[in-house]
Amino acid sequence: MIDSVTLSQEPTQKAPHPVDRRARTLQAFVIGLAVISIYGLISVIPAHFDLWAATKVFIANLQLMFFSPNVGNDSHGLLFQALLASIELAFVTTVLGAGLGLVCGLAAAQNIAPSWLCLTTKSVMAFVRAIPTILWVLIYSVALGLGPNAAVVGLTFHSVAYLAKVFANTIEEIPAQTIEALRAGGCGLLPVLCQAVLPSLASRLLSWTFIRFEINFANAVVVGAAAGAGGIGYQLFVASNFYFNFHEVGMIVYYILAFVFVLEVISTKLRHKFID
Amino acid sequence: MLTVTALSKRYTPDKPSLQDVSLVADAGTITAVIGPSGAGKTTLLRSLNQLLKDDEGTVQLDDVDLRQLSKRELQKARRDIGMIFQNYNLIDALTVLENVLHGCLGAKSTIAGMLAHYTAEEKQAAMALISEMGLSDFAYTACKHLSGGQKQRVGIARALMQHPKMLLCDEPIASLDPKSAKLVMDILRRLADEKDLIVVVNLHQVDIATDYADHIVALNHGRKVFDGTPAELNDAQIQAIYA
Repeated sequence: MIDSVTLSQEPTQKAPHPVDRRARTLQAFVIGLAVISIYGLISVIPAHFDLWAATKVFIANLQLMFFSPNVGNDSHGLLFQALLASIELAFVTTVLGAGLGLVCGLAAAQNIAPSWLCLTTKSVMAFVRAIPTILWVLIYSVALGLGPNAAVVGLTFHSVAYLAKVFANTIEEIPAQTIEALRAGGCGLLPVLCQAVLPSLASRLLSWTFIRFEINFANAVVVGAAAGAGGIGYQLFVASNFYFNFHEVGMIVYYILAFVFVLEVISTKLRHKFID
Repeated sequence: MLTVTALSKRYTPDKPSLQDVSLVADAGTITAVIGPSGAGKTTLLRSLNQLLKDDEGTVQLDDVDLRQLSKRELQKARRDIGMIFQNYNLIDALTVLENVLHGCLGAKSTIAGMLAHYTAEEKQAAMALISEMGLSDFAYTACKHLSGGQKQRVGIARALMQHPKMLLCDEPIASLDPKSAKLVMDILRRLADEKDLIVVVNLHQVDIATDYADHIVALNHGRKVFDGTPAELNDAQIQAIYA
């Protein structure tokens, strides 16, 4: 930093110190954000807003939801079935996504695929991934009509792109020499993939797939409401927006929480088992 | 018999890494390739099974010029050439037995290879090689738990599983302690003598090359600077090779 001052071409005119400039940019950035936030709050808050009253209502609603949950107009059986439907949606899309994702991941791995294929696959996958899952589901619900079809295709689409990327990254961690060693012995590409690449990576590929299952479950809940695909998300939507039954909303949230808890336990167990 | 004539290879146009290298290696002999780092030893070895291409010259193994073969023919020809490496290049997650069985993947159909469908004879052959390498106790151990010397012996067993005519060894002992290095070199010597293999070894230790090899080829800056028996290699020549 001393160098940059002494080397400055105009020593008489005091050049701004690089650190000062960075600090000033940061200050301007923070102040700008603060102004935008305050303006946003003012324009969003309705005219006769009473923070205290709103807080009281909010707490009362929370109490309704979480301290006195019940099944409302539905039954435990129905809610459980709905939860199962969401899990099934997540499961199907994850399995499809993992299968197709593996193929695309191999095509996108630099140490396996020729560079033109690798680049093409990576670009297409990046494009698909850039558009959020929910948008894909909405796009397909226009193309295929509202319902489970759109949800399955849309969720799978994004899962493939996501898994292709992480699979390709994982596959690229295998040293090229390891693959070369088998190729040097006259072994074809497909046997090398099945016998060398997959066994080395099976546990990591599985753990990525499991992470995607968790993501897909969260998406399946949202998609149930958004694309009319059914499942627990749809029940949540109906209970909250049509019946205003906060007790049932609370119950449904507990259902979802219970399942997410189970998932977490399983994934921790798997991690202990595979990454020793 | 391996006959290499006038082999050249360039990575960049102005800096050739192999220039006009010729050599002959007979069955039942060890040929050591020595020379300083960057002399082109690895490049030469990789040209011998055409892992590296786009060079000039010929690489003849028993009257077949590997450089003239199509992709498919080359894949087939490579079954006759076993290769072992400085970093062993095993699949660490798999057991010793599975790694050794990989040696016969090349001779299988694509489907059988993908499904790892090995015959009983192949499994027995693999077990025999494993015990020959003194690794019987480790047949079902994952390779990641083995020492360097043990891994290199697995590498040799994998190469032998191909029933090769030629064994290419790229710095096989560079990562090993002296005791393991001696063990590996003794094995290579025995293979040349008993199985009548053509063994080509890249080495950077001159003393080991003179102890074990029948024939020494020295490279410097991609050119062959010595070709003869260990007895013909004197101190002045060694100085010149590493100059």
